[in-house]
Amino acid sequence: MISTNDCKVIKIFNLSDDQLVELSKNNALYLSLVEMQAIQCYFKKLKRDPTDVEIETIAQTWSEHCKHKTLTGPVDYTEISPVLSYKNSGVKKDSNSSHITYTTVKKRYDNLLKETIFKATVELNKKWCLSVFNDNAGIIDFDSKNGVAFKVETHNHPSALEPYGGAATGMGGVIRDILGVGLGAKPLANTDVFCFGNPTTKISKIPAGIHHPKRIMSGVVSGVRDYGNRMGIPTVNGAVYFDDGYMANPLVFCGTMGIIPKNKIAKKVVSGDFILVVGGKTGRDGIHGATFSSARLESKSDVNAVQIGNPIIEKKVLDAMLKARDLNLYRGVTDCGAGGLSSAIGELGEKTGAIVYLDKVPLKYDGLHPWEIWVSEAQERMVFAVPPENKEKIIEIFKKEDVEAVVVGKFTNDEKLTIMYNDNVVVNIDMSFLHNGVPRPIRCAVYKIREEKVQKPIKMGSSEILKVLKASLSDLNVCSREWIIRQYDHEVQGQTIVKPLHGNGIEVSGPGDAAIIFPYTVVKGTKKGIVLANGLNPQYGKVNTYKMAASAIEESLRNAVSVGADIEKISILDNFCWGNPNNPEILGSLVRAAKACYDMSKAFGVPFISGKDSLHNEYSMKGKKYSIPPVLMISAMGIIKNVENTVTMPLKAEGNKIFVLGVTRNELGGSVFTKIKNIKNGIIPDVYPKESKIIMKKIYHAISKKLIESCHDCCEGGIAVAISEMAFAANKGVKIDIDVIKTEKVDLLTAVEILFSESNGRFVVEVKPDNQAEFIEIFKGSIFSEVGYVMDEKRVIFESKKNGIYVQEKPEVLLNFWRSTLTGG
Amino acid sequence: MFRIEVFMKKCFKNPKGSQVLSDISWLGIKNIAKIEYCPLYLIDGDVKIEDVEKIASELLSDKVTEFCTVSRCSDLNSINVNSSVPSLSSSVSIIEIWYKKGVTDTVAESIVKAVKDLGITKDVKVKAGHKYCLYGTISRAILDTIVTKLLANTLVQEYEIK
Amino acid sequence: MKKVKVLILRAAGTNCDYETQFAFELCGAVVDRVHINSLLAGRKDKIFEYDILALPGGFSYGDDIASGRVLANEIKNKLSDRIRKFVLRGNPVIGICNGFQVLVKMGLLPDPELFEQIATLSYNSSNKFECRWVYLKIEKKIKNESNCIWTKNLPNVINLPVAHGEGKFITKNQKILKSLNRNNQIVFRYSTKDGNKPAYPLCPNGSIQQIAGICNIKGNVFGLMPHPERYIFALQHPARECCADKKYGWGKIIFQNAVDFVE
Repeated sequence: MISTNDCKVIKIFNLSDDQLVELSKNNALYLSLVEMQAIQCYFKKLKRDPTDVEIETIAQTWSEHCKHKTLTGPVDYTEISPVLSYKNSGVKKDSNSSHITYTTVKKRYDNLLKETIFKATVELNKKWCLSVFNDNAGIIDFDSKNGVAFKVETHNHPSALEPYGGAATGMGGVIRDILGVGLGAKPLANTDVFCFGNPTTKISKIPAGIHHPKRIMSGVVSGVRDYGNRMGIPTVNGAVYFDDGYMANPLVFCGTMGIIPKNKIAKKVVSGDFILVVGGKTGRDGIHGATFSSARLESKSDVNAVQIGNPIIEKKVLDAMLKARDLNLYRGVTDCGAGGLSSAIGELGEKTGAIVYLDKVPLKYDGLHPWEIWVSEAQERMVFAVPPENKEKIIEIFKKEDVEAVVVGKFTNDEKLTIMYNDNVVVNIDMSFLHNGVPRPIRCAVYKIREEKVQKPIKMGSSEILKVLKASLSDLNVCSREWIIRQYDHEVQGQTIVKPLHGNGIEVSGPGDAAIIFPYTVVKGTKKGIVLANGLNPQYGKVNTYKMAASAIEESLRNAVSVGADIEKISILDNFCWGNPNNPEILGSLVRAAKACYDMSKAFGVPFISGKDSLHNEYSMKGKKYSIPPVLMISAMGIIKNVENTVTMPLKAEGNKIFVLGVTRNELGGSVFTKIKNIKNGIIPDVYPKESKIIMKKIYHAISKKLIESCHDCCEGGIAVAISEMAFAANKGVKIDIDVIKTEKVDLLTAVEILFSESNGRFVVEVKPDNQAEFIEIFKGSIFSEVGYVMDEKRVIFESKKNGIYVQEKPEVLLNFWRSTLTGG
Repeated sequence: MFRIEVFMKKCFKNPKGSQVLSDISWLGIKNIAKIEYCPLYLIDGDVKIEDVEKIASELLSDKVTEFCTVSRCSDLNSINVNSSVPSLSSSVSIIEIWYKKGVTDTVAESIVKAVKDLGITKDVKVKAGHKYCLYGTISRAILDTIVTKLLANTLVQEYEIK
Repeated sequence: MKKVKVLILRAAGTNCDYETQFAFELCGAVVDRVHINSLLAGRKDKIFEYDILALPGGFSYGDDIASGRVLANEIKNKLSDRIRKFVLRGNPVIGICNGFQVLVKMGLLPDPELFEQIATLSYNSSNKFECRWVYLKIEKKIKNESNCIWTKNLPNVINLPVAHGEGKFITKNQKILKSLNRNNQIVFRYSTKDGNKPAYPLCPNGSIQQIAGICNIKGNVFGLMPHPERYIFALQHPARECCADKKYGWGKIIFQNAVDFVE
């Protein structure tokens, strides 16, 4: 190959190690020395130098974003734990921590993902999992004819730089994942979860070079709103978590769920099929987006990494491609995400080989180099594998809806990637090297399990408790997200039958635990529904990433179960957002969380079906490095047999009984309460799957028999917040006797601790007096108690006769505390 | 090349302007009495001014709540700002924001399609921008803060203060 | 008996077409979702094969300039004769949300005989997109005297959801507003639960006189910002309230009225 004006040959034969590193750095390839050496070695075997297009192609394909080198790579893990564990004991007997000795356990993982998360899925072997971890999204069984696909992605770095465009293209990208799963699913719902810095931070406290969290939040919300709303996909579930650890590096998780006929799940690209590029034109947008996500956010980042989306193009692609799908006009499809055409065609042609004529790709403007066309991440593009005989027909379908569709090459049978530009060969490499040639260096990981201490017993009078309750309700991580939720069209398609905000009607609202989609327009005559929920708890991860991961999983399940999901029919997705994995302690905290994923997935019998990681979430400024608090965000998707048998969280009728299900433990570590009262100690809530899974099963049973009127899970703010929310969402009164709430040991917890502990595994439910006996019969054997009733009088009352506590407030007053924190961008 | 500015009629509220005004208050900036927002468009191509006036009145402005001005210009900066702003006084600062070259401009893309529907067959190039008129005495430094902290992202947009 | 035929006109960015189709089908109609390109390319009289025309919600052509304006211009410039004839023949026409914006901006509402834009749907006073449930009031005078074929058999106050960023109804002048009142064209107003005048957010957009939906004098053309197609079943209501049979929602009655009218 020879250099031309368009394409340069890069001489790497005689480069020293230092020069290889420099080459990688200067061209923003983000490849390590070992990887550069592998490339050098490969081309030495070919007896020629590579072109810039070849180097870029390999860099894209081998990027962290596309290959997930850390999670799928080998890891040497060392775990150091204190011998004396206070787990379950609650009371600390020896305050002198210097007596504690540590034990060390080592383990080698050859492929972390395969040996934890994926392993659990394989071992659970659920028949209803139709496609896991091998396509753009996970797919589970919906009914005899359809599956449902779910995928959640992150778009953190682009959102830090340009919040609106970053979040919008994050949404657009994950929607394309659903369009590109199998032969294409029809999107039914979006989810979004954000982590931001404190939006009330003073402007002067914001370091130069980063946007204020309030601006980031406002931009991100607008981006998700404009893309989701224009696509006509309801945004039905989500969360926002505020912590100053995300000030410089916000996290933006976007998810999409779609429905797909079972006979459209498999792609089968055949050599000779045309490569059809459909949708938006290619420009310089998002060049190096994939490799960029492997890099730390520097003050001066590559401006081309910024993308702005145009949802209407994607909407046209969606409308037209589903028609083409139903006419069986193509054999494979995938989206252009990170890495652009390079990744999309590379993936589709991995087994066959492909030849591409880059000069045929429609461009936004002139002057793009071949490598730029090949790796551009311009939005709203999809790649199809089309049998030659269908070419005219499929192009006609796209044309009718004003969608550009151009054949740019074909799939071959030589297992090579060949790229032509103006009659010159600019790439000619083996698919096997491209996809399997990346070196797998062993990484070191260390995790030291921190000893947790119980706080001193907390006692308070009634008025102080009320003050804390109000502060909890207006806390940034508890308060209403109405300002965000109502900007999303969460009811388009008409299928959102359990909405993100619950309320008895229109004037009052409360936070729903999960959303339910009833796909009546797509699956005619169905009674089934799809529940979507999520869980995350970054606060716990600062102390213990195992408990953080376990709690996030349980929280997502509790949320789903609260509206009526069957715990036996729930699947989950993992999204890891971590700091720099080259730091052994950071990688260690990730391994520890992955272990929790395996344990919990097995214990709850809930398989992972898809996942994604975003590592290197750190920001360096003035020589100082900031790493984000790690987050494992879990998204849950469940199938509900009959949408009529579902419940919401507001209280329903005066005279009904209130029950608390599950055990309240002395677990105030990482809680909203300790944050408000500035208490350092406290045990981080643990998960007891044996206890909670049975309760979850029983709740499903009771909801199916219509024995439960309302149900709400206990999380941030504990029982006090959960019950207040149920009351103000209905503007009803409730009276609760703190003394009868079941705790791990009698008198071990004070009244305050019972009210605000954030123990997992607990639900508050409302039961009609007529159903009480049957309800109690179902829950026999589990720990639960009747704790109060719904009152005629509009007052929320928490009483402990034992401690002389009588807290009371009007529900509307509590509602206003909950409502008035987040009111605008 | 033609420049089109679209104004909300005085009798109607300018919700976007009011929104920006309230956003500015959290920047800690006071003494701005009022903000008016108006969209800007540049239309380039082999078209007559009558065509552009049609585009402005039929497509880019609302017959009930808005009015618009059309003027010729050779480039972005050649317009005499005073002539295009009604009731301009000395205590008005004007901020204009445009996308940088090469950045996706969805508004412009949809105008190109809609111009064809109006029966104008000639190809046009379109650029969409934003104009904010801030009433009050404001220093250049504060205007820069308002733009960079709130109105524009200099990574993808460029701005001008007049 | 011949089935009632409904044409749901869609364009790039239309996104409430499936649920609108379902609503009409539930009421016994046969529905085709037709892309405007194919209506333009097909036979000139194709529209007259249908009894009812529906312009569903969405973001036609992205709504980047102003909601509904690009599609309104396109229809007016390329289909005006056909569509005007269809309307003046008395065929039921409904525009929901974006469809309402299109009807108003091309001038089919409030007065299809005039066929000029004399009203608009402008940015919400809150300057943001609002997705929420509202109360809609149908005044006694309207119930008794309005010709609107779409809003018969409804109680004084109903619930429907809204989801829009540009829903503030404004007329060109007071005279037009007065004639809308005089001619019983203002069929839906936002209200409180008891039918009183609401404040934000029960009036989600700041419309003059809390106008949520209007019809032409003849009563066959109906445009509204709220989404009746999202309240076909009781299950879709936030508190699962129903209108009859423990199953259906008030939205269904609206579609049923038009289908029954044709039959």
